[in-house]
Amino acid sequence: MKKLITLTVNGVLHELAVEPRRTLLQVIREDLGLTGTEKGCGIGDCGTCTVLVDGVATFSCLTLAVQVEGCAVETVESLAENGKLNALQQAFVDHGAVQCGYCSPGMLMTSTELLRRNPHPTEQEIRRAISGNLCRCTGYQKIVEAIQAAAGGQHE
Amino acid sequence: MILPRFDVLTPATVTEACALLAAHTAAGVRILAGGTDLLVELRRPIIPQHVPRCDGCPTHPEGAVFSTIDCTMWNSEPLMAAGGSVRAAVKPPAFLLSLHKLRDLRGLQKRTDGSLRVGACTTITDIERSRDIREGWTALAEGADNLGSPLVRNRGTVGGNIANARPAADTAVPTIALRATLVLRSTSGIRTIAAADFPTGPGKTIINPGEILTYIEYPAPAKYSGSAYHKLANRKALEISTVGVAVYLALETPGGPVADVSVALGAVGPKPLAAASVGPVLLGRIPDETAINDAARAAMEDARPIDDHRGSAWYRLQMVEVLTRRLLKTALARAEGKK
Ligand SMILES: Cc1cc2nc3c(=O)[nH]c(=O)nc-3n(C[C@H](O)[C@H](O)[C@H](O)COP(=O)(O)OP(=O)(O)OC[C@H]3O[C@@H](n4cnc5c(N)ncnc54)[C@H](O)[C@@H]3O)c2cc1C
Ligand code: FES
Ligand code: FES
Repeated sequence: MKKLITLTVNGVLHELAVEPRRTLLQVIREDLGLTGTEKGCGIGDCGTCTVLVDGVATFSCLTLAVQVEGCAVETVESLAENGKLNALQQAFVDHGAVQCGYCSPGMLMTSTELLRRNPHPTEQEIRRAISGNLCRCTGYQKIVEAIQAAAGGQHE
Repeated sequence: MILPRFDVLTPATVTEACALLAAHTAAGVRILAGGTDLLVELRRPIIPQHVPRCDGCPTHPEGAVFSTIDCTMWNSEPLMAAGGSVRAAVKPPAFLLSLHKLRDLRGLQKRTDGSLRVGACTTITDIERSRDIREGWTALAEGADNLGSPLVRNRGTVGGNIANARPAADTAVPTIALRATLVLRSTSGIRTIAAADFPTGPGKTIINPGEILTYIEYPAPAKYSGSAYHKLANRKALEISTVGVAVYLALETPGGPVADVSVALGAVGPKPLAAASVGPVLLGRIPDETAINDAARAAMEDARPIDDHRGSAWYRLQMVEVLTRRLLKTALARAEGKK
């Protein structure tokens, strides 16, 4: 039996009929067609499915859509401004923080939350904040540098 | 992740939650808080869970901490078994009762008597960021610091961590050392139980069907007291502890004898354990090097570790002594206002 819920995704209010067992990740990708959010492990280990729910970094694979009814969800698609990468995204590109790119949507959303909460994080704070987001390519150093650069407000 | 079919109940009040829980017990209902344990447990097993193949396998049968949904059956469809004996199939629940609308159960309340009431649905992140907890119940804050990853802490709740009753649960161990009381509610009323008496084995507790853990009450810390938790693990994030120890220590006066002590051990038994042998060794003594060493050795008597891939029973036992010694010193420094 489906349940009717409302969900604001990237500023747009949706009314959705969802099966209770469906995860927020499935609804975002399959019902709303926003495929920027990736599915990795599906069990909370990798963080690539991270979105913001009422501003809080949340793994969408371990969250049922019905648990966040009425909430405001932000996905990686919300970051670009007028079709241009925002400063954080551009910093990821400039610093080589994107290799295969699989972790990027989650890394970007987690670091978006961090920078809103703490605009000038230390390196340790950055490393701790992204410790639930796995990257198998970059060795994290470039991601940390990108976030630092975005926090400093400059990127080449 | 593919989840089995279930319906979700979303009560708006605790009273309604108790009524719904009672009404659906016969049909099969599980309580859903953050879901970071429950949804993982319910998912379709893609890789058949470990099936014991040889005698003496440490994961068989009581120590097993894998999906309770048997690997040969899922939604009544047979799955391939990997051979060997398998556990009896467990049916997924028909209903999940989600607590997400119960605002009353989320948050902290410091009371006039100095005690602290924590709602069961308070997230681990809320606990980690609470100044009151870091100052008064430091061991709990340090448990929260070390649980999973920021993403796990943002969703996971303290009630879920305690109710899930894993031997290594990072907030359950400090909760026992801090001698918290758990408040359980059902349609027949309220009952309270000491945190140490709540878990009975891996994933098992004294909770009855129809009962909800509503609050965790931490008593006021004594005037000259301190507490600390340490999680020994291979990585700093996303790791289950090899050994976890939490200590609460109170002095009669700074520099004076020990007025109260409580030690809890994680991952060295079938459930988080209170180390009852420490008190008789340390109470009334000046906590000097010898007294602390004696107390740390006493803690080993209460540990019942097993060998597994995180560490051998022997190693874990040594670590109980080492960590208890160090944590008693940390708690002592905090009790004397030094840290
Ligand atoms: C990637 C990952 C890493 C993790 N790392 C750690 C770690 O390092 N340390 C650690 O201790 N844990 C860890 N966990 C486990 C988990 O995150 C915690 O135990 C968490 O606190 C569980 O809370 P929850 O709200 O998500 O519980 P849920 O999954 O919602 O519930 C867990 C169990 O408790 C029951 N329950 C929940 N709330 C109540 C209530 N109020 N009354 C009665 N029963 C209730 C549920 O029915 C269920 O059986 C990890 C999990 C993941 C996915
Ligand atoms: S897909 Fe959600 S954490 Fe890996
Ligand atoms: S860039 Fe490949 S996983 Fe991070």
